[in-house]
Amino acid sequence: MANKLAILWALVVLAVGIHQVQFWRSASLDTDVLALLPEDEQAPEVDAATRKLADEAGRQLVLLVGAKDWPSAQKAADEATRVLTESSDLLEPAVVDTSTLEQAVDFYRPYRDRLLTPAQRKWLAHATPEELGGTALMKLYQPAGAQLTDWNADPLGLWQDWWQARAAETSARPRDGRMWLSGEEREWVLLMWKSKVSAFALGDGSRVTATVERARAKVEASVPGGRLVAAGVPLYAEAAAAQASWEMSTIGFGSLAAVLILVWLTFRSLRPILLVGVSLTLGCAVALTVTALVFDRVHLLTLVFGSSLVGVAEDYGFHYFAARQGKAPSERGPVMRALLPGMVLALVTSVVAYLALGVAPFPGLRQMAVFSAAGLTAAFLTVVCWFPSLDTGALPITPFAERFSASITRWPRIASTPAWWLSGAVVTVLVAVGIWKLEPRDDLRQLQGAPANLISDQRELGRLLGLPSPAQFFLVQGDNDEQVLAREAVLKTKLDALVSEKVFAGYRAVSDWLPSEAQQREDSALSARAEAHAVAAVSESTGEAPTRAAFSPEPLTPKQFLAGPAAAVIRQQWLGTLGKAQYSVLMLRGLNDPKVLPRLEEVAQGLEGVRWVDKTAEISGLLSRYRRIMGGLIVAGYFAVLLTLVARFGRQAWRAWVPSVLGTLLTLAIFGWAGAPLQLFTVLGLVLLLGMGVDYGIFLLEHPGDGSAWLAVALAGVSTLLSFGLLGLSATPALRSFGLAMLLGEVTIWILTPCFRLPPGKATH
Amino acid sequence: MKPFLVLMLSLLSLSAHAADLVKDVRARLVDAPLVRGQFEQKKTVQGFKKPLVSKGDFLLARDQGVLWNTRTPFASTLTLTRKSLSAQQATGGAAYHLDSTKEPALAAVNELLFALLSGDVAALQKRFTVEGALVGDKGWKLDLTPTDAGLARVFKHIHLEGDGYVRQVQLDETRGDSSVITFEQLAQTPPPDATEAERLGK
Repeated sequence: MANKLAILWALVVLAVGIHQVQFWRSASLDTDVLALLPEDEQAPEVDAATRKLADEAGRQLVLLVGAKDWPSAQKAADEATRVLTESSDLLEPAVVDTSTLEQAVDFYRPYRDRLLTPAQRKWLAHATPEELGGTALMKLYQPAGAQLTDWNADPLGLWQDWWQARAAETSARPRDGRMWLSGEEREWVLLMWKSKVSAFALGDGSRVTATVERARAKVEASVPGGRLVAAGVPLYAEAAAAQASWEMSTIGFGSLAAVLILVWLTFRSLRPILLVGVSLTLGCAVALTVTALVFDRVHLLTLVFGSSLVGVAEDYGFHYFAARQGKAPSERGPVMRALLPGMVLALVTSVVAYLALGVAPFPGLRQMAVFSAAGLTAAFLTVVCWFPSLDTGALPITPFAERFSASITRWPRIASTPAWWLSGAVVTVLVAVGIWKLEPRDDLRQLQGAPANLISDQRELGRLLGLPSPAQFFLVQGDNDEQVLAREAVLKTKLDALVSEKVFAGYRAVSDWLPSEAQQREDSALSARAEAHAVAAVSESTGEAPTRAAFSPEPLTPKQFLAGPAAAVIRQQWLGTLGKAQYSVLMLRGLNDPKVLPRLEEVAQGLEGVRWVDKTAEISGLLSRYRRIMGGLIVAGYFAVLLTLVARFGRQAWRAWVPSVLGTLLTLAIFGWAGAPLQLFTVLGLVLLLGMGVDYGIFLLEHPGDGSAWLAVALAGVSTLLSFGLLGLSATPALRSFGLAMLLGEVTIWILTPCFRLPPGKATH
Repeated sequence: MKPFLVLMLSLLSLSAHAADLVKDVRARLVDAPLVRGQFEQKKTVQGFKKPLVSKGDFLLARDQGVLWNTRTPFASTLTLTRKSLSAQQATGGAAYHLDSTKEPALAAVNELLFALLSGDVAALQKRFTVEGALVGDKGWKLDLTPTDAGLARVFKHIHLEGDGYVRQVQLDETRGDSSVITFEQLAQTPPPDATEAERLGK
């Protein structure tokens, strides 16, 4: 029977091995923070919009090079460009092809008469014939200026203004053959480059980042007061990949080394090291395979989190070797059978706890849950199926193990004495005050592990360039294109009022580039009337008979527009058909003050088909909701665990239960005293603690007075502590907070559990 | 950021690079912080058989801007400062105003216009290939070809003639229209009066 199981498990391991080879050959790893975010089941169109906006800039690199004055800024830009050009295998300048614009102007030309800005509409509707004629004459007689059309195709010079309004979507302007802007006490040159390499290739090093840093150093060295501000997905992706691989090796190898050293110290034998090593390796390999099969792509953070698995998965091996030490090789089977009930119970509570992490609808968390549950189970199966067959030699008790096993008798044990009651009261007060001081915080930042300099560069760039925000936007819905465009127009009139109040800088909407048919008809009539007056006045004044040019009798349709050269600029905001409806996104520029967000939210109220989307607030709300749900789950979980323990240990069950409850409360209190915020990820750490903390109690109750159980618990505690302690070093705030909660909880539970052990001579069953 | 927007902007702007300097022309020009005088402009516009002729007076104040007052065939004023461009018809009614905080390229337009009207060869060299010749004892001619793509979209050529002052400017636009502006009665006085100073201060 045991042999059959061993062979079966070997076959599974073989299959996993084959999959692993394939997996690492075509590593489909995710570094995108968005992939960690929950999908919005109620509103798939919001997701589609968010992802489309994020995809847009996959390989783009935007740089601003600034200095105190314009000549220095130009010099700095030259220096930066030279450095960037040196890395031509990595980067290429974003091509600026003059024909594109001319094509766009030509494309729009037949529809010139029906493209008006709101200000023009207002003016044309109220202007007197004298005013229109006068303006036409003034513009006609003005010394030369930039003209996009012949005079008779635009007698009032409206076309130029329309393009200028489109150009207002960025604050950069051409100057001396460069893109220039002025702000924050500097003159800036805008440079745009593209990464030629995939941003998500792991192990490729941070080559784009290094190049940008060289350019930054060059700018700062060669121009006094010179500055380079850079942003782009490639930089974020490289930072994420570099961080993850560093953390994986720190946490993974750090805890592996610690575990192996502990095994060596305790058993002074190579066999336990090899076997525990095998159980850990198989645990991780199976975890990765299962995750890859279930989720298709594996996120980098899953691997980082998974690295801490080493510290938990070795528990089973420890228990086996601690119990088997000093016994005859022939007793391996009975030893394993004696351990099995406790180990199964411990595995079940841990796996259930890990899977509970996956209750929250974050794909990233679900991956971590599946990864850990699978890894733990595989390590357990390896121990149960293989260890008795492979571990054939003798394993004498080492002096270290003996001394340590004996130490349990000297560990304090609670009793009904005044000293214990007093310490209990003090702890109660400290815990109560600490928990009262605890402050929840649910902002999105806990998910972003990006280096602070990248984030501040991104903000500065957004501020200077007036780039639209991808996190807040209006989603406009309609039954057809025309309705979407018309609803956008209604929304825009409301937004224009806020723009003129300087609540935010402006917006970018599809209907600015493609007005609805109704709007086009209206504008065409408006400009025809006004320009007739203009032509008449000029005709009278000059004695000649110019005629107004003819325009397309048909409106510009969405189909034509999307196929045309002008659509590129706005295409990602036109979502097209999702389900039964049509959608577009209206983006906002210059949204720097979060305090104005409620006013924007108000705008959408009462407008049919318009929805205000605030991804930041939405995710924060979600984090907060799940923090509370998981909090409730912990309370329920502790009662469920208590019932399970009572079923097995009867009236002594509290001895395994109370240390975990206390550990959880103390951890919360320490967070409170330290001023660390309570986040979803802190709570998730506590969920896991619920599953793993009782393990120690279970083993001490299963084998009361057994020094070897204490030894196994101690080893397990130290290694778990190490791996989660290392997770506390992670640069991702979520993982750090999770790791710290686990670390504090584990330490307190580990110290407390032996205090609640059975008095000598008592047994639970 | 889209290359498309960038292109669009370069179309709308007037800015450019440099070429060789004609030192002698500079030596012949009067270095005046203020120039005023009369102008006559003949503009050839597609769709109009005869040139459109307008006359008036102008004031050029270095570092402040240009006042361009058309008297015939109708009265209107054009004010170009670093901050804004505004035009007004004397009869009231028609008017328009551009703000340089919204359109920063205006400063560059002002700079170019000033350079053209005052014959600032050094400034022009940044934006044009400058070719030229001296004429007689005092005169000179300059042919300017834009070196910058943005400027080249507006002007094919600019031709300047003068002596101590710029006497004639010919603007050949890329789209085919052209203007010949001749200046007369040029002087460095009187300084701006109250109304003019107010317009320049805008």
